[in-house]
Amino acid sequence: MDNLDDPRLMYNYRTREQGTIPMDEKRARFQWVSEVAYKNVHRIVARGYDTTELVEQGYGLTDVLFIDFQARIPLIEEDKMLNYVMVCMFEDGLSSPANIARIVGSGKTLLTQAAGSSILAFGHAYGAFQTFGKMLDGILARQAKEGKPLAEVVEAAVKIRLNDPALGVSSLMLKDPMAKRMIARAEKLGVAGKYVSLMKEMVKAAQKLSKEPVDIDLLGAMGAVMFDLGFTPEATWCILSVTRAFATGAHYCEENEQEEPVRLGQTLTPKEWYDGPADRPVPTLEERKSVAKAIEAQTPDEWKKIFLERQKIKGSGWAIVEEIDDPKRKI
Amino acid sequence: MDRQPLFKRKTALSYKTEEQTIVRGYNVSDLAEAGYTFYDMLFILFQNRIAAENEVDMLRYETGEFLEHSMSPSAVSAIGVINGRPNLPAAVAASVMTFGSAHGPGAAHGYMMHKYIERARVEGKSIEEMGKILVDEYMDAGLAVMGLGQPQHLDGDPRAEPTHIKHEQLCSGVYLELQRSIEKHFNARRKKEGKEYVAVNMIGAGNTALAELGFSPTAAWCIGCVCRGFSCAAHATYTMKKGRAWGASKREPMVQMLDLSMIKYVGPADREVPSQAERQAYAKKQKEEGEYKKWII
Repeated sequence: MDNLDDPRLMYNYRTREQGTIPMDEKRARFQWVSEVAYKNVHRIVARGYDTTELVEQGYGLTDVLFIDFQARIPLIEEDKMLNYVMVCMFEDGLSSPANIARIVGSGKTLLTQAAGSSILAFGHAYGAFQTFGKMLDGILARQAKEGKPLAEVVEAAVKIRLNDPALGVSSLMLKDPMAKRMIARAEKLGVAGKYVSLMKEMVKAAQKLSKEPVDIDLLGAMGAVMFDLGFTPEATWCILSVTRAFATGAHYCEENEQEEPVRLGQTLTPKEWYDGPADRPVPTLEERKSVAKAIEAQTPDEWKKIFLERQKIKGSGWAIVEEIDDPKRKI
Repeated sequence: MDRQPLFKRKTALSYKTEEQTIVRGYNVSDLAEAGYTFYDMLFILFQNRIAAENEVDMLRYETGEFLEHSMSPSAVSAIGVINGRPNLPAAVAASVMTFGSAHGPGAAHGYMMHKYIERARVEGKSIEEMGKILVDEYMDAGLAVMGLGQPQHLDGDPRAEPTHIKHEQLCSGVYLELQRSIEKHFNARRKKEGKEYVAVNMIGAGNTALAELGFSPTAAWCIGCVCRGFSCAAHATYTMKKGRAWGASKREPMVQMLDLSMIKYVGPADREVPSQAERQAYAKKQKEEGEYKKWII
């Protein structure tokens, strides 16, 4: 059967078994395993607390976030601080999540598609709470390991990340006091801890190193405060992206109320915005044989040459180079 | 740094300058400083108003209890997606998008209530009467009456009736009256037909309260579904940090969600792949015989 008879294949395609795998009786059956919550016919229990009993006692959504993500009841000050952060995170004008919700909504979709897709805006630059948190933890770990003064370790870290969108320090909030007020509120409520302190050191270092004026931004303030409230970088990423998703529901509503739905093929792209190859005739399939040739590198030098050529092709993805974890890296 | 919006829109929701972010006229930072909460923001954004304290209490209650629901379709989505280890937001987004016509169909329930309250007004009937009319019309047409029954909580959703009671205490109005009437007449009719009692679910209870609080059907749906996104995020994060990626490891003591033995196949029996030489005749015969039609989905 063509290549399937190739002797290099690791088994015989003709004699391989058919049908599904029988139930595995040697191991325990599959079950929904969770440390977070369970329910039965009469109860819903999160981290040991019956959720109906929680709300009857006056606890609310923000308390349940502490319960779900940290398995604990927050202090009143912590709950106040989380509310403060969520109020500031809630809505931000025509930002990426709002735009996504509007674009998705303009196709006459369900609200849940629009609000859900808005969460996809959160990455390693926009709302980069996971990246930011890992960076802070990395700095603290390095300082603990090397025993150097915090300011020295911070300066070294900031120096190589000065233009990193996940630094938490930028020119975004030079005129808007929101981020600085948030830090002040955390200190006033007594919930600021090592992350807020670290963030202050980072701002100092960035201001010393940057040629342009910079200050703490929303990522830096919200991230540091959320981590001091005990939320992990991942939990913070989730909580704050979902917080914004509520507001994108309003953008979805407004888009549907005010704008006509967008149809397939409706949107034009002006030719003057186009900077790709000039218009050209499509070769016939016969002409293809002489026009087209496959490109395979046979040596590393050839590969590099092709690689650099490919980087010139906009939209090909070759110009995007991401660092992956170096297995030789110690911290 | 380009700070211009991606596309142009007139919006009555908010604006943002280098100096401040304004939502419905209020400076967001000032709202936080003044002690307003996340619950207040929902009223401000969706309703353009500062809510009364009793309204905030009701919303705190409802969102607090709605957030976590353990094993439900949205949590399954979050866990299923994170098994592939994408970025966390992908799993959370999927969970919110799971809400549709079966899981948390809040908006439809809201529109149903609006329609019948309006009819009560136009036809000069009481809300109580209109509840019976609604039930009869839906049941006569063989349609499910929204807001009743839950597939897991067979004796009634443990959150639903307490929500009704809290609703009565804090902000009772025309929506609750209609919902109560629907429940009464629905079960009276079922009793007459010899069928068992079906309790109100969280659409019937929660969505009714959100409507009474002034949220439109779509806004109420948004609040309910996105609220659940928080707990789905917790389930995804737990799975990411403490579960096995892919969900198929043979080294786990328990059979995993995606273990091959979990597959039960009930489709066409295994069959030979026709060669390209045989293909046209094979395909023609297959089409003529039509057996394939029973598998079309």
